[in-house]
Amino acid sequence: MLVKKLTKGAKVLSYEMWTEKYRPRSLDEMIDQEEIVQRLKSFVKEKNVPHCIFAGPPGTGKTTAALCLAQDLYGSGYQEHLMELNASDERGINVIRETVKTFARTKAMGEVPFKILILDEADNMTSDAQQALRRTMERYTETARFILIANYSSRIIEPIQSRCAPFRFTHLPEDQIRKRIEYIAEQEEVTVTEDGMKAIIDLGGGDLRRTINILQTAASTGKPIDEETVYSVVGRANPADVREMMLTALNGDFIKAREKLRELLLKYGLAGSDILGQIHNEVFRLSIPENWKVKIIEIIGETDYRLMQGSNEEIQLSALLAKFVEAGEEIKRES
Amino acid sequence: MHVPWTFKYKPKTLSEVIGNEDAKKKILKWIKEWDENPPEKRALLIYGPPGTGKTVTVEALAHDLDMELVQSNASNYRTADAVQRFAGRASRYGTLFGKKRLILFDEIDGITGSADRGGLRVITQIIKKTDSPIILIANDAYNPRFSTLRKFCQLIKFKRLRKTQIARLLAKICTMEGIQADPEALKLIAERANGDVRAAINDLQALAEGKKRLTFDDAAWLRSRDRKEEIFNVLRRIFYAGSVRSALRAAQETDVDLDMLLEWIYENLPYHVKDPKELASAMEMIALADVYRGRIATTQNWSLMRYYLDFMTAGVSASWSRKSHGWTPFRFPSRIATMSRSKAERGMLGEIGLRIGRRCHISADRAAKDVIPFLRLIFQINPEMRKGLARWLGLNEEMVNYIIGKDQ
Repeated sequence: MLVKKLTKGAKVLSYEMWTEKYRPRSLDEMIDQEEIVQRLKSFVKEKNVPHCIFAGPPGTGKTTAALCLAQDLYGSGYQEHLMELNASDERGINVIRETVKTFARTKAMGEVPFKILILDEADNMTSDAQQALRRTMERYTETARFILIANYSSRIIEPIQSRCAPFRFTHLPEDQIRKRIEYIAEQEEVTVTEDGMKAIIDLGGGDLRRTINILQTAASTGKPIDEETVYSVVGRANPADVREMMLTALNGDFIKAREKLRELLLKYGLAGSDILGQIHNEVFRLSIPENWKVKIIEIIGETDYRLMQGSNEEIQLSALLAKFVEAGEEIKRES
Repeated sequence: MHVPWTFKYKPKTLSEVIGNEDAKKKILKWIKEWDENPPEKRALLIYGPPGTGKTVTVEALAHDLDMELVQSNASNYRTADAVQRFAGRASRYGTLFGKKRLILFDEIDGITGSADRGGLRVITQIIKKTDSPIILIANDAYNPRFSTLRKFCQLIKFKRLRKTQIARLLAKICTMEGIQADPEALKLIAERANGDVRAAINDLQALAEGKKRLTFDDAAWLRSRDRKEEIFNVLRRIFYAGSVRSALRAAQETDVDLDMLLEWIYENLPYHVKDPKELASAMEMIALADVYRGRIATTQNWSLMRYYLDFMTAGVSASWSRKSHGWTPFRFPSRIATMSRSKAERGMLGEIGLRIGRRCHISADRAAKDVIPFLRLIFQINPEMRKGLARWLGLNEEMVNYIIGKDQ
């Protein structure tokens, strides 16, 4: 971080992931999600935190909020009172249970009588594992409070949901993201043109982590960042494209369309809801009969709702693609 | 060079052959009788399931007694003429250096009516007047085709080996290969082999060759391979069901894991259902099954299970008119295949992911999807940043090269 200031005038890029370098350190620094931040601040004030579920799409500040809460609550040395676990990294509930037990057994020092345990990607746990987790939560509730982080809260079993305070994180609004990106660009002394800024925000899709990663990658070229730089960078990071997937399906090739879907989900880690959002954006631009556009929107809406309910992204989106194949066939026949 | 372990660890002497002690004793006794006069039955018919040691026993016996073994198996022609050429003379005359001779007809189940016509008849004739002991080996001695032959043979039965016997042998092989093997893993292999030593050794080699350790997890996939035939069978019954009810029954009657079954149906459906309307309808049924799976998971109400089952079987089946689509082979679900990617790759990517994750508060998985694509570009574009970021993330040179894609 300090390297930058060593040689005056000469620009030296700092060697951290900017997503970490500029991660807020306190609830006061968090942008947007105001209601949530207010409630969390009141927890800090009362020095009491219930079990929580932070749910919402990637890059909307769930982990940051949890980390900020801990830092505000415990001050410096907060790491001693905090444990981060990742449900998809820790193999099995037994590891989690053991880790939690060891961590929670020793009583917290200081004025806050409990420790905080952040369990990320909790919705990736099987329901059996969640059942076991529920018992662990109950057993150690005196000494440990859990913050479960999930993309979809509906994938958390009801008995856990009912024991947790729910927090719904939403995509950050464009102006907030813009402010943050401008701030980082200024700190890092990189020039971003107006069209470059638009492109970064557009491609970030409301996911701040992704947006900052795009900025840093574009900045690594060492040139002023304009639209072209951004698109060439992200284009190379993201060759598969939602529109192409839709057209493949409309042209009748379901198997290939499903392959593209898998690429988007698995390789590029797009969330199902984001893919749906992009499909939704594209539908009215397609050259298909008007009545079909509306029919498709109906299906998209249903699919979106199912995802919120915790259905499987790939299977639901595949069913949607199969509908596209059917639509393509009918359109061909009608014309 | 690839040497099959079944070959490498083939017993040389009778004492190395495991199991079937009674049978071995009987064979030895019978062959000793030849020292005096030809016994009443001049041939043995050894029978039993594959991989129980029938052939190796005979070979080891010949070795121990220093006999010349003359053998023919299914790969040789066994027409009357061929048999006569092979064994006719051998059975009547001594060997060049006075060694005793042992004649072996292996795999006589393979002597089929049309191709090897008359073979069995000639074998019977040779047995009647042979001066050398003859041993026949079959899986099933009571095949009606052997009814005449049987009259001239003493029958010796080989039994399947016990699980513990096989596991002990596997452990011995592992020691000789320098593999540290989890006893539970060997037990699983032995159990799955169902008394067939050859199958067990082959499985062991497939799982453990070149490894230092063999864990239970390594062996566990044998179970799923076991299931493959069963899954194919269920899929066939669902996809080609005559009625909606029989599709449902196919799934009810199997103990294949339903989530696994759903993956298989989901994967294979588009290859079997070509009509867009039918495909859309069938996929919607899969999607509905998935919706119910989600509802079961959140509510923990397992009575909803029946709808999950209905949609994935009857629902799919009813969507499809099944007009002769021809036969399409089933595919392994790629969603499962991705999970069992090569260990090395998963190891490297996983390790990189973990290191990034530790720094960036995300899972290894998410790091691989969200961060590595950007990191790859940064590393390619800007060497200075590459050095700095690699140090900050704790990535070694090999990992950096992996990310850049040098090894791919």
